[in-house]
Amino acid sequence: MSILQYNGGAIIAMTGKDCVAIASDTRLGLQQQTVACDFQKGFKMNDKLYMGVTGLATDVMTLSQLLKFRMNLYKLREDREMKPAVFSALLTSILYEKRFGPYFTEPVVAGLDENNQPFLSAMDLIGAPVSTSDFVVAGTCTPNLYGMCETMYRPDMSPDELFETISQCLLASCDRDALSGWGAVVTVITPEGVTTRKLKGRMD
Amino acid sequence: MSGAFESGARKGEVATGTTIMAVAFEGGVVLGADSRVSTGTYIANRVSDKVAALHDSIYMCRSGSAADTQAISDYVRYFLASHATEINRPPTVKTAATLARKLCYENKDALMAGVIVGGYDPIEGGSVYVIPLGGTLMKMPFAIGGSGSTYIYGAVDANYKPNMTKEECQEFVKKSIAHAMARDGSSGGIIRLVTVDATGTTRDYIPGDQLPYGP
Repeated sequence: MSILQYNGGAIIAMTGKDCVAIASDTRLGLQQQTVACDFQKGFKMNDKLYMGVTGLATDVMTLSQLLKFRMNLYKLREDREMKPAVFSALLTSILYEKRFGPYFTEPVVAGLDENNQPFLSAMDLIGAPVSTSDFVVAGTCTPNLYGMCETMYRPDMSPDELFETISQCLLASCDRDALSGWGAVVTVITPEGVTTRKLKGRMD
Repeated sequence: MSGAFESGARKGEVATGTTIMAVAFEGGVVLGADSRVSTGTYIANRVSDKVAALHDSIYMCRSGSAADTQAISDYVRYFLASHATEINRPPTVKTAATLARKLCYENKDALMAGVIVGGYDPIEGGSVYVIPLGGTLMKMPFAIGGSGSTYIYGAVDANYKPNMTKEECQEFVKKSIAHAMARDGSSGGIIRLVTVDATGTTRDYIPGDQLPYGP
């Protein structure tokens, strides 16, 4: 089994009208055995920027701590917030530094830029980025996630519609993956603020 | 017991990484199973039926390779039907279990199948026979099997009491399988319950949102 499938996980980030949402499951497993159902995979970087990291759990934790550290340092030096596109570029650089001994993670970046326009990007474990305007997915059930998102996504959703859509996409995809699920968390980021909700889903 | 990742599984093979269980009571047997069938980590069927009918009052819970266990249950069903016609009365659970064991033991190199045969006959009442991977046959008061069973050995040992009623057996099976489904990635979906006694067979299912246990 691939090292990226050892712990399991699923993440979606999706855009709406002047808002973004990021959803992740909360399972931590050791191959088939489930060890925890409250493992955090979505991390707040600042009020308008979230990062979701899936893959090997130890690298999920390490990478999120490392990025938070680098963001704090930037804020102290530059005395301004880091833009999402800059954060994404920093992340790709950090991942490629470890090109021949990588972090076994597939991160996803979701935020609002300085004009409150939605920004999304995702990358592979060595930092190859892709930036889209609709949605990005990562995890052990990406085929399921792509299928659900392609079907259910439509542009310019309101924050409530976006929450509903991203939740259904994540839950249905995890229901068909033995390594994902056991709880889910969805965060919706708007210019006014951030709302985080836990989803009630199957715990099997 | 077998799981989807033990050596022997061919790439792309569909496996019922599973939790199966059967408990005998005075006048019959309660058999239970989850409903998840996986190909690697993709869930190919989330509402499958792993409790196969071998005869009117004899059932078999299947775990391991889906193809192997379907083939075994089809053969046993066929042999039992001929045998029942020949002896002109319902077959015994022991006969059904012995037939399954012969198939599992004599083809042990080719098969990946762990099964539990349970049912009612007028001679022994309710009985449970378990046939793990190599083809051993063991008659037991209750049995658990499949990849999810490893998580509930302690729980079933603690909660089992001899001489339980039918309803107590049903609750015991439901609760145990729910616990296994919560921890095992290869088990999940719904719980299928089959109760066999002298009056006949009842099939029941417990949907995923009504499981007696869940974190």
